[in-house]
Amino acid sequence: MIKTILLTIVFLKTSLQRMQSRYYENAKKNKKIRRILYFILFVIIAGIIGFFSSNMIDVLEQSHQETTFVGLVLFLVLILTIIQSVFSSVNMLYFTKDTEYILPLPLKPYQIIIARTNVIIIVQYFIEIIVGLIPLIVYGFKMNCGPMFYAPVLITLILLPILPTVLLSLIVMILMSFSKITKNKNKFQLFTTFLVFAITIAFSIAMVKIDEQSISDEQLAQMLTKANGMIELIKGYFPTLKYSINAILSNNIFTMILEFARVIGITAIAYAVYALLSQKLYFKGLVGSLFSGENKKKKKKIKTATKRKGVGRRYVAKEFKTLLRNPVYLVQCVLPAILLPILCIALVLISFDEETINEIMKALSTVNANGVILLTIIGITQFFSMVVYISITAISRDGKNAIFMKYIPVPLYKQYIYKTIPNIVMNLFSIIIVLTVSEYLLKTSILDLIVVFVISMIMNIAQSFLMLLIDLKRPKLQWDSEYAVVKQNFNLIFPMIFSIISIGLLILYAKTTQIISVYIVLTMIAAIYLLITVLVNVYLYKRQNELAGKIE
Amino acid sequence: MIEIKNVSKSYVKNQKSVDSLNLEIKDGEIFGFLGPNGAGKTTTIRMITGILEPDGGDILVDGYSIRSNPIEAKKRFGFVPDSPDIFLKLKGIEYLNFLAEIYDVPIEESQERIEKLTKKFEIYDNLNNTIESYSHGMRQKIVICGALISNPKNWILDEPMTGLDPKSSFDLKEMMREHTKNGNAVFFSTHILDVAERLCDRVGIINKGKLVSVGTFEEMKAKFKEETSLEELFLEITEDD
Repeated sequence: MIKTILLTIVFLKTSLQRMQSRYYENAKKNKKIRRILYFILFVIIAGIIGFFSSNMIDVLEQSHQETTFVGLVLFLVLILTIIQSVFSSVNMLYFTKDTEYILPLPLKPYQIIIARTNVIIIVQYFIEIIVGLIPLIVYGFKMNCGPMFYAPVLITLILLPILPTVLLSLIVMILMSFSKITKNKNKFQLFTTFLVFAITIAFSIAMVKIDEQSISDEQLAQMLTKANGMIELIKGYFPTLKYSINAILSNNIFTMILEFARVIGITAIAYAVYALLSQKLYFKGLVGSLFSGENKKKKKKIKTATKRKGVGRRYVAKEFKTLLRNPVYLVQCVLPAILLPILCIALVLISFDEETINEIMKALSTVNANGVILLTIIGITQFFSMVVYISITAISRDGKNAIFMKYIPVPLYKQYIYKTIPNIVMNLFSIIIVLTVSEYLLKTSILDLIVVFVISMIMNIAQSFLMLLIDLKRPKLQWDSEYAVVKQNFNLIFPMIFSIISIGLLILYAKTTQIISVYIVLTMIAAIYLLITVLVNVYLYKRQNELAGKIE
Repeated sequence: MIEIKNVSKSYVKNQKSVDSLNLEIKDGEIFGFLGPNGAGKTTTIRMITGILEPDGGDILVDGYSIRSNPIEAKKRFGFVPDSPDIFLKLKGIEYLNFLAEIYDVPIEESQERIEKLTKKFEIYDNLNNTIESYSHGMRQKIVICGALISNPKNWILDEPMTGLDPKSSFDLKEMMREHTKNGNAVFFSTHILDVAERLCDRVGIINKGKLVSVGTFEEMKAKFKEETSLEELFLEITEDD
């Protein structure tokens, strides 16, 4: 037990260790200023999320469905936990470089895997503070709740991520135990991530179907009309979700204890099974992942002469190749742009049938529905753009190789543009997915779709350039594994901040659509983001050499 | 030709990593740049190649300043960095074609050079594999091929022999000689003093950021009035300092 705890602390420290460049090491003053800035950032994010939450609670309260908010928050926490686990468990459990140092130590497999899983869970707690704790505190404050609300909220937020993380890690462990059958580590790593993703969706569908079967149409109609009935729809999604929601919303201490006992029981059983199985399976997959190298390719004719494509196209192609061929970058930077919208939309679609969605839309719709809907679609595209980490890691991903940019005879500004393009393209995919689903669900007019597309693209381009600028200003070039660039990198918070601020602005604009035409509002949004793009580009152009100063 | 004019660089205040360095690498010569660890060799090379901005002074490559006319200066040298772990996810052939495009090498020329260089270094058959599957030595070879693909007049190489097998090391030295015979310049840093002694027309020794000795091996021996090896001279020079 002590060894597992010690190992957890060591892994956690390595995982959260800040990668600092030479510039930061000697700058104690900077450290203080940065801490204050981070605190201010946190306050801003908390404020924006609190503001969203308060608005949403007000809307739900009007239709006497305010408890649904608690369910929605926990549902969101759960989904984020699942997504985070899908994308990080394969890497965290099997493809970290320290494995080579850990394996020779006299440790049992379960001690290593539990310590690693603990780290995944603890990292999720940080996300929970923003997505879970803040909204629920706002809810408690608005509903005048006492300790009987806050205590179970805290216990739930501690317990809730454990089961999905353990279940997903278990699936990963079982799949990875077959890694010996392949000699191509990269492809297997990718294949495993896809398979875990597919299993997650299949599991979600199964859970919803089971839940649907237990609710008749009559009951469903009752739930939607009865005060605080809508929350029943969310409860069935995940085994421990129902008990957690019951515990939080219960006024009876005995019911609360009973519900928590159920959550703890299920979680403990899962953890025990996981630990037991790891004794047999973990090292199998681990050794497989360590020793499998790239297979030797069959001799193909080598094409030494290729058509000249132009430096720009060749450079962008190089960026895409390095992104797509690296499993870590592919999974962490590229795939979320496509998989996250699909996963979220699939979860919503399978969780609620069309009728329910229409009912919810009706219940939530305001006076000027069209304007609000258009801004909501743009907001959703912004939400998904926060997980596209291509621009924000464009320089850092190159690590020590980033100096290449400085000794080739290509102007730096041009290289900055080439490095931004993959981010714009991947966001474009995400936007197309959202627009396709919007068209299917909401039957938006073609004109509106085009308008939404143009605005989303303008915001996308602004975000992509701005994120590149941030990475240039704060590159993380000293790293041992690629995973560190996309996980242990504080810069990744900036796409989130950009998206949250953009969504906040969209909400403010949504209110003005009651006074002025939505198209005027959209033109204003376009103007703001075009201005950001122009300003960032002028800055990148004028300061192209100074900005590369930290690349050395 | 590479001219380093009164160049200085500090990372930390009041501690110069390179201090008022003046050096000229003439056309037709192989220049070896020697010095203990942390002496300022890589910093100098990084300033010549535009990776680092000098605090003062200037560097000219064939008359073009790396500070005021960087693109023209960069077109005139090929650079082999100290770490060959570059673009590991690209195939060897993709890496070379990418560089050929960047340096505007015509298709026919690049095809000919890729074949000639990679066959000479015996990596031609591996060109369709990603660089990450290469051994350290093979990576070094592909980086050297990349640096030479544009047939630059000036070669700048940071520890180029590291990881090379004896045959490739021999080939590279031969290529350096051939290159300088045609009136071009080679500037390289090394820790292998035997190589420097036998290969270089002139050597420069840098210690604690200052150029402490420069000239031919014979001139150095004459200066110290000793019949000794470059290794012993190097130790004496760097110790005294």
